[in-house]
Amino acid sequence: MDITMVKAEEELTFLLEEAVLRGKNAAERYPEQRFFGYLCSYYPEELILAAGLEPLRLLPGSDPANPAELPSYCCSLARGTLAEAKKGKSGLVGVGMAHTCDTMQCLDGIWSDRFGRENVLPIVPPVLLNAPGARRYYQREIEELSAKLLRLSEIKRSFSNEEALEWAWQVCTRARQLAAELDELRPRLPSPLVSALLRAGQLLPKERFIEALLTVLPLLHIKAGEDSGRYRVLVSGAVLETDSLFQMVEDLNGRVVADDTCTGYRHYAQNIVGGANDKIRVDEAPRDSRDSQSQNSMNSRESVLTQIVQRYVTMPPCPCRSQGLEKRLDYLEALALKRGVQGAILAIRKYCEPHAWDAVPLKERLEVRGIRTLILELEASEVGGQERTRLQAFLESLSN
Amino acid sequence: MEDFFIGVDIGSLTAKVVLVDAQGKALGWAVARSGYSGRDVAQRLTREILAEKGVKEEQIKATVATGYGRVTYPAEREVSEITCQAKGSAHFFPGARTVIDIGGQDSKVIKVLPGGKVIDFAMNDKCAAGTGRFLEVMAGALEVSLEEVGALALKAEEHKSISSFCTVFAESEVISHASAGALKPDILAGVCESVAARVSALVERVGLESEVVFTGGVAKNVGVTKALSEQIGYPLLIPENPQITAALGAALLAWGMGKN
Amino acid sequence: MAEEKKYRQFQVSKDLKRLMAKHYALGRYYRYWGRPLRRKLAWITSGAPVELLRAFKIYSVYPEQYGAICSTAKATEKLCQAAEAAGYSQDLCSYARSHIGSILRPDLAPMQGLPKPDLLVACNNICGTVLKWYEALAHLLKVPLLVLDTPYLPGEQTEHAQQYVLEQLQSMVAHLEALTGRKLDRQELKRQLTRSAEMTKLWREIRELAQAHPSPLNGPDLFIQMAPIVAIRGSQEGIDYYRKLKAETEERVRRSEGSILEEKIRLVWDNIAIWPKLFSFTKMFTERGACFVTDTYSGGWTAELAPGDPMESLAATYTEIFLNRSPEFRAQQMIQLIEAYGANGFVLHSNRSCKPYSLVQEVIRRRVMKKTGVPGLMVEADMADPRAYAEESVRTRVEAFLETLQA
Repeated sequence: MDITMVKAEEELTFLLEEAVLRGKNAAERYPEQRFFGYLCSYYPEELILAAGLEPLRLLPGSDPANPAELPSYCCSLARGTLAEAKKGKSGLVGVGMAHTCDTMQCLDGIWSDRFGRENVLPIVPPVLLNAPGARRYYQREIEELSAKLLRLSEIKRSFSNEEALEWAWQVCTRARQLAAELDELRPRLPSPLVSALLRAGQLLPKERFIEALLTVLPLLHIKAGEDSGRYRVLVSGAVLETDSLFQMVEDLNGRVVADDTCTGYRHYAQNIVGGANDKIRVDEAPRDSRDSQSQNSMNSRESVLTQIVQRYVTMPPCPCRSQGLEKRLDYLEALALKRGVQGAILAIRKYCEPHAWDAVPLKERLEVRGIRTLILELEASEVGGQERTRLQAFLESLSN
Repeated sequence: MEDFFIGVDIGSLTAKVVLVDAQGKALGWAVARSGYSGRDVAQRLTREILAEKGVKEEQIKATVATGYGRVTYPAEREVSEITCQAKGSAHFFPGARTVIDIGGQDSKVIKVLPGGKVIDFAMNDKCAAGTGRFLEVMAGALEVSLEEVGALALKAEEHKSISSFCTVFAESEVISHASAGALKPDILAGVCESVAARVSALVERVGLESEVVFTGGVAKNVGVTKALSEQIGYPLLIPENPQITAALGAALLAWGMGKN
Repeated sequence: MAEEKKYRQFQVSKDLKRLMAKHYALGRYYRYWGRPLRRKLAWITSGAPVELLRAFKIYSVYPEQYGAICSTAKATEKLCQAAEAAGYSQDLCSYARSHIGSILRPDLAPMQGLPKPDLLVACNNICGTVLKWYEALAHLLKVPLLVLDTPYLPGEQTEHAQQYVLEQLQSMVAHLEALTGRKLDRQELKRQLTRSAEMTKLWREIRELAQAHPSPLNGPDLFIQMAPIVAIRGSQEGIDYYRKLKAETEERVRRSEGSILEEKIRLVWDNIAIWPKLFSFTKMFTERGACFVTDTYSGGWTAELAPGDPMESLAATYTEIFLNRSPEFRAQQMIQLIEAYGANGFVLHSNRSCKPYSLVQEVIRRRVMKKTGVPGLMVEADMADPRAYAEESVRTRVEAFLETLQA
């Protein structure tokens, strides 16, 4: 085996290990970095990076968690992340949540009550991304958050925050391009592998992720088999902190060929600025992510902030941002058809209201298009015997 | 030498084994508590049936396993109990279009085509309401055996309703009915109705078409059967041995594999 | 009966029944006269800017209030089951589930369900759930949905948030003009705001009378008498009714007549009422001389209109609703209530159906207890679904709590 492939194998192992760790002790493993924890993909990672910090997605731990602050009818994502934070060994500089659902709104209050408002920096994106004034409002929120992050970080440097944001934008865009390349390979790679790699990108320093994924991608292209005879499924849902569901789909002769989860591809999806739906082509992107001036594709008149706002506004719709229900249904229907899926699995964490609401019309819409849909309720992200029965019966029924 | 086929269903409470011959005819079956190792129990049952029917192990051309224990059982194939249940039910009742199965841990409603192909199904969500486990907890709270529940419920005069959907809440409701002096049959009738109500909601989800087959251990409970039939407004066809339909379905699938 | 002896009825309540019956009956006629008179019927959330709709002569009914009606009429369980059978999870808000159930199964619903709307108006100041609920309604009924997005306020109101809400209000005006074929009459909007403010002021004053010892009002009084401020805010009939209610409440205070006969303990209530068990739940308290003298729920409709021109005022008022604010803000509010009403304790209804109200209650409880030394009790239940109520475990907690207060 040639040396680059040996290196690629090593880097692959590294990324998979990171994915399993869920960000645990990241501060100890990367002592030269300072991490800032966030919840929800609408928290702009660019701002964290520009403030000299590393974004780290907060995930619940593996044990069932019941912190006293939250009642039993609250989702395990909120309970689990709060319980982890209360252990107090995270080494995070601060945390922040993007306002998404009622539970996250409450979690912000509980978190800041315990750890101090100055260390907990929420952002409240508009719920109606296309409402009049929404962009201006969002941009103000982003500007204010950016300033607060800088205060929290107390970073001293020789260049302006504008330049830092520009650099951060390039880094994030690079990570998203590589994720898009990986997502394209998805039908031909084991599902848990892709899910783990995408999650890893939210748990380790961004540039380290880019470096590792760049090394790994050629190997993955080689590893990618022929389009298998497996059942082609779409998985939609919120946060999945493990690959358990993807693993089980794979074990049952299925393949997740389309992914719409917060910790999966939806986190990275980025349309080209200007409104067109075509993705940024990977080969057009700057090879060096710091080389921002020469190959910068954006309109020079637009500030980087507008660019960032644009990216978050045009992310694939999630149930917590309303652009009319139909828009999300249209998006998922198109995704399912594009990837030729036979069945869809809607993974819903118990007590997650936004996803549970959307599951009803989504199932209806997909089934009209001949795509069988399974609503799978999960306590957390792990699947067990009960789920196996449902998944297996579901996949078996696809062959009918 | 004639070929034979085995279907094994290892459920959360019991393990079942069915033996079919080369014509796809069921020759024998056995049921036992699955206990700690459902796999060992099922293997023991298989040996017993084979000995009883004078069939040698090498004559078994294929085994299909289903139920919770299917994953670890050494079989040619493992198939979910939904597919097996549909197959087995259609064998007993060729006109079956809806199969309701209430087992120990899960309840399911399956919509089937002639021949037992699954077109849709719904299952209980994470909580135990509407399952055999729910009945077992309530029977325990009233200190009656699970087998007695149905017969006692039929003797009810004034039905005590159980409104909570959470098993823990419902148990405390049962206890408070009891401490308020309500009679066991009256409370048990409410318990059976509560199970039936949960399952009829699943029936609604897939849409009801007759004929309706009722299987699983709980189908032996006359209290639930009566309540369920009343709530959905259709008679329920119950196989003579409602526990073994999934195992039979598995055996028939094994037979189908052997034919090809 | 013991309950009647210990509980004093309001004379005006018979008028209330008539008033609310008329409100719902009128809504039914929009089917007939709505089109010729160019009057639309809207379903709206409790935190939506109804004054603007009134200025467009739009008649509004409230599915949330209807959810409470279903619950007191004991219809919730069956309606929820109907929605659950259609795929809606049992963990979703019980108002929403029962309301959707009433659309799917009008035969099971009080008044055969609400009259079908011409439009839907949702404001997410009270929760994110209403948005999902109304999206589902728009999808089911194929009617237009107007949404007002009032950003959550982790701290104080910000200028850009207010500006954003204002811009949406302006766009809502354009939509309403198109839908109704009427121009916005700014004078009419001003009149509506004035009447709304007058009615809100009356409701505030009535509630403040409960600062008297003994309190002329108990929890069920507040929950029942709030119906007009929710459903017919800004109407002359509503104002007239509250004047009468105020007079009768003042009379009670003058005579030192309490709502319950022997008031020994004064409590503050937090969260939506437990509608399916309103009286049996309250009875556990009344029996021991405990009165809910005020609450945060029906108090949600007492906020003064913010200053500014009508549109600015609407923007600020509807964004600053307490449920849209931090637990710190809400704890402070609870402390003020405890002090103003001389309360000995507070009871928090941990309401499975209402996450924004409930998930922060433990933090609030600790904070308030630390600051005031007044004990707080948490009771888990549901505002509408009787299946989530565990009688015995609630009773044990309540009894123990009241014993501590009496000791």
